Amino acid sequence: MIGTPFRTSYWHIEPVWIFYVLAALAVLVFVYGLVTRLSVWLKGVKHQKIPFSREGIRDLVLDGLLGWRIFRGDVAAGTMHLLILWGFLALFVGTVLISADYWLGHFLRGLLYLWYSACLEVAGLMLVAGVAWAMIRRYLQRVPRLERRAEDLLVVLWLLVVGVTGFAVEGGRLAAQRPDWAGWSFAGHWVSFLWPNSNGALSAYPYLWWTHALLSLGFIAYIPFCKLFHVLAAPASIYLHNQPLQVVSVEGRGEEDVFTYRDMVSFDACTRCGRCVEVCPATGAGEPFSPRDFIAWARVNLRAKVDPLNRFGGINDPSDGKALSAGDFKTQRIWHCTTCRACLEVCPVYVSTLDAIRQVRSGVVEAGTEVPTLLSQSLKNLYKYNNPWEATKKKRAKWSGEIEIPDLTKKGEAKDLCYFVGCTTSMDTRAQDLARAFVRILNHGDVDFGTLGKKEPCCGDIARRCGEDGLFEMKMDDCLDLFGKHEICEVVTSSPHCFHSFHNEYPAYQALKDPEERISFRARHYTAFLNELLVKGVLTFDKPLPVKVTYHDPCYLGRHNRIFDVPREIIRAIPGIKLVEMNHNREDSLCCGGGGDRMWQEDMDGDPKMSEIRIWEAAATGADMVITTCPLCLIMLEDARKTAGLEDTLKVMDLNELVLLALGLDRAMDKDEERQEKKISGGG
Amino acid sequence: MDIVVCVKQIPDVTDAELDVNKDGTGIDTEDLETDINEWDNYAVEDAVRLKEALGGKVTVITLGDEDSEDVLRHALAMGADKAILIDEGGFAFSDALGIAKGLHGVVKDLDFDLLMTGVQSSDEGWGQVGLILAELLGLPYASLVVGVEPGDGQATVLRELENNTQEKVTLPLPAVLTVQTGINVPRYVSIMGIQKVRKIEIKEIDAGDLGLEPDEIGAEGSSVASIRLSLPPVGEGAEILEGSMAQICDKTAQIIRDKGGVA
Amino acid sequence: MGEILILAEHRDSEIRDITFEMLTLANRLGEENNLTVTALFPGYGVSALAGSLKGACDRVLVMEAPELENYNADTYLAVLEGLIRERKPALTVIGHTAQGMDLAPALAIRSGVPLVTDCVDVILKGETMDVQRQIYSGKIQADLVMKPSETYLITLRPGCFPGGSEQGKSADMESLSPPEWTGLRRQFVEYLEAELEDVDITAADILVSVGRGIGKMENIPVVEAFANAIGATLSCSRPVADKEWLPKSRQVGTSGKTVKPKVYIALGISGAFQHQAGMKNADTVIAVNTDPKAPIFNVAHYGIVGEILQVVPELTERFKKE
Repeated sequence: MIGTPFRTSYWHIEPVWIFYVLAALAVLVFVYGLVTRLSVWLKGVKHQKIPFSREGIRDLVLDGLLGWRIFRGDVAAGTMHLLILWGFLALFVGTVLISADYWLGHFLRGLLYLWYSACLEVAGLMLVAGVAWAMIRRYLQRVPRLERRAEDLLVVLWLLVVGVTGFAVEGGRLAAQRPDWAGWSFAGHWVSFLWPNSNGALSAYPYLWWTHALLSLGFIAYIPFCKLFHVLAAPASIYLHNQPLQVVSVEGRGEEDVFTYRDMVSFDACTRCGRCVEVCPATGAGEPFSPRDFIAWARVNLRAKVDPLNRFGGINDPSDGKALSAGDFKTQRIWHCTTCRACLEVCPVYVSTLDAIRQVRSGVVEAGTEVPTLLSQSLKNLYKYNNPWEATKKKRAKWSGEIEIPDLTKKGEAKDLCYFVGCTTSMDTRAQDLARAFVRILNHGDVDFGTLGKKEPCCGDIARRCGEDGLFEMKMDDCLDLFGKHEICEVVTSSPHCFHSFHNEYPAYQALKDPEERISFRARHYTAFLNELLVKGVLTFDKPLPVKVTYHDPCYLGRHNRIFDVPREIIRAIPGIKLVEMNHNREDSLCCGGGGDRMWQEDMDGDPKMSEIRIWEAAATGADMVITTCPLCLIMLEDARKTAGLEDTLKVMDLNELVLLALGLDRAMDKDEERQEKKISGGG
Repeated sequence: MDIVVCVKQIPDVTDAELDVNKDGTGIDTEDLETDINEWDNYAVEDAVRLKEALGGKVTVITLGDEDSEDVLRHALAMGADKAILIDEGGFAFSDALGIAKGLHGVVKDLDFDLLMTGVQSSDEGWGQVGLILAELLGLPYASLVVGVEPGDGQATVLRELENNTQEKVTLPLPAVLTVQTGINVPRYVSIMGIQKVRKIEIKEIDAGDLGLEPDEIGAEGSSVASIRLSLPPVGEGAEILEGSMAQICDKTAQIIRDKGGVA
Repeated sequence: MGEILILAEHRDSEIRDITFEMLTLANRLGEENNLTVTALFPGYGVSALAGSLKGACDRVLVMEAPELENYNADTYLAVLEGLIRERKPALTVIGHTAQGMDLAPALAIRSGVPLVTDCVDVILKGETMDVQRQIYSGKIQADLVMKPSETYLITLRPGCFPGGSEQGKSADMESLSPPEWTGLRRQFVEYLEAELEDVDITAADILVSVGRGIGKMENIPVVEAFANAIGATLSCSRPVADKEWLPKSRQVGTSGKTVKPKVYIALGISGAFQHQAGMKNADTVIAVNTDPKAPIFNVAHYGIVGEILQVVPELTERFKKE
């Protein structure tokens, strides 16, 4: 056969209308699935608009099309996914083009067609290779984070068969037609040699064609009902992840509001790839929790409630059910999450499990009947006494002992800087060392500062982490009122948690209340302030401090606020010190186990505990000290050091204490403490 | 099952160092936070649970000042349906009978199957009001209740006795129960919950509305002529026991017997 | 001559301690005011039991009826109302116990007698009475002067007075016939003993709590013996549970359980903040620690500076002798 190369559509396919009917049917099912999914998304709380986001577009390209986040940490998975994604995309575009060619006039002719054919060959091979690789990873290599559920097998098998039958159809056609340009369709060309003569190929061809067509159509129809729906949900989730913090005022909450639309979208974007399971500190400590299980639970519940498909008996994956049977999420498992953000760090599609969990917690807190006892007690204390620890307001300013600190709430005590000590740092005996050390450094640097004394409120972080949003708003108002009343513009915090609330959450809530008004103070964590003192030359380390230290990144300073380098720079500024890194550091740091309000709850530790896992990792570096920059980490690691039997070999110190040591001021502090201890005060 | 619960607002003194006011008739409440009386909180929770299981309405009543609206809101947020505030004007220095008369004035006109309240209040701890109320209403009652099982026209009730022992009794309905702590785990009341019940109207009543004569209530109606409060003689922190090992142990043994009721 | 009437309390054929404590008070007040002391002993088949009050009062009134076999507010109200109206005792004393707390308020209303509950001390002067109470969880002492009355009713807090069956008296035994029972509404069904298999430290009245100061697991039995001797439940601080010397269910503190026993005995617990949060609401805290500066002494009411292994066995002896 000689002539211009082109594709004969529906060659020897009769009757073509059946194909069209089936195609329409497949599209109908696909659209139905899509609509039900979208209708679930639309049930999400959406009190904020979705503004156009340039970052969103950038991430869509980087993370979506190029799969950047899939490559990160797992090149094999990234390559595999890229092969499938681009193979699939190219074949999809190819199919659109050939349809256009058929309906709109024949433009795929000659050399263009030949290149077109060659490209599709490559795409098809990429798809088949990617799918085969995926199967090898899951079923032969058995990558630990991957599950082997029925759906997982069905999806890859289906794709593989679609790909292979595609080549078979092409091979059959080429074997029957034997055109001169067959070499351009090189893969199909090879396959065509399976048929010794054109007659055999011709008789097999319609069967192959219909098989391929039915499988392809069925596959399209299946997409919205399986994890492949991520081809649509994942880009949406990626685009949305840059949106500003979604907050809903307590007043604006509806009866049934649980998740935001972003949560809803992200649940559908989840393919259960298991990266979160690998990094979740709770899962790692053997606790009955994993972000993936939570997403499954949330999705099942959403479907039970709002998915219209549920009317027809639901479309729940049985393995979802299995993930749920290991304990009750609502009453127990949601409290395991430390909100450390490790899962979000690695999730290729930005599923923010911690935000969604916060929403569920909020519902539980509002219902009230299943709030863990100790947490409930802590929240009551927080409400009445402005701290979760003790039912008294009187002790808040007692930590300073003999050190005199100006009280900004008193008349005539206006200062440039307000040191916001925080609940835990004020009340916990170990964490108080942090505050005393910081104050000594400030005094050493002649910094003009004050505290809010015993009037210092809680920043509300504890309330917000467990979803007690009304209490959070109340505490925020307390803080803003007090800051406003005493014209406080510069705040420095002990805790990354207070800093996080002030810096990231207050503005969002403020915008909700009054879009015109801005938060009128700047909050920084003490590390930023120490760094400033260092840069200004106020702090100078004269004597070398020959110790080996390792630095533990607090989740709310590091992952949540991307402050990784500043604390390390401060440590390195001390002459003679050697800073070594733990296996998990920076974005990859391991949580101490005290976040997400775990500090104020009944024990749900695994064996070993998160804090012990972390302290052993620290010990493995051979360091003399673990330095941290958060009062909660300080308490947790100090405790773990004792239970892990590392009391003699490893010290846990706050960065302030290290700096104090390097400044040679620690002696003065010891004396202070002795004086403190002599005064045994307070009755029973 | 319609239930009436009487609650009281008290100053939270759990961790507070208390001081007596100048004339010795009360404590300084300036630095103290208020809360619902712990026992009453259990009573409300139990009432709401019974309602949730069996249907009906829960009405909460308190006798107090304007601020007592807080405890009513608290109870409403827990799931109570209606709230009544009896103004404490005229009730100052009432004894338990005086308070019970005030509550009786309201309760006698309500239809209910159960009237519940805490065994006692954590401030003065008379432990009388609920049972006096029962007597004024002429209803059967049980105190120290740690379990309620309503049946047909009657309720089976568990009372807490000493030494891990309980007593099971039955009462015909309507009846009055005073609830002991630990009967349930009271739910957490969130700020969101409180805000949601903000619009429920609270009915306000005063002593005049109830037809109570001034000499029936307040100091005049009380059986107490005068009261003087003082701080018990306790030192700061632990009293460190001194002496020989034998003496110390003798003292300690005595303390354990006194405080723990060890037989 | 007027009299003071006390209501004898008994359960399961045993006279309860409060009975003798009330008699101690009544005898003192009787002497001061020239009043005789009468004990009312309602029950069924209790004559012999009632006899054991002979040495502690002037008169024992035994009332026997099947309806009085177990305490019931309705029957007791009928009995006492009648008796108070008939005998007009200057003072009637009832225990501030599960029984007395249940009985007294309605009785006061029914018989029109002024009532003071939960008294820790009483001074009677003719037709006036001063009483002492403890309020605000014992943080405040209240001294009350009662308006004059011919007859008063009080409930006495257990443990405020020593009790003893021999108080230098020799009582006449009288037997009373029960009143006619009308309007009985409440029915006694049964007593239930709490099951002891599953240890719930939050329900315990007395906790003996052991901390890191115990040194090693082998020493736990020493503390256990002490706990058994005083009828306490064994609990622990976090390090002890962490080391699995005792099960996690026994741990007191923020990561364990919050307890509120009558007596909390902290042995070798330094009293870290997290531990304190779980136990500081105990009514009485007794702490034993080698470190006089240990923070546990801040929340303890009584402190002993010393070694657990010396103090505890010695203390156990005090309770074994009985």
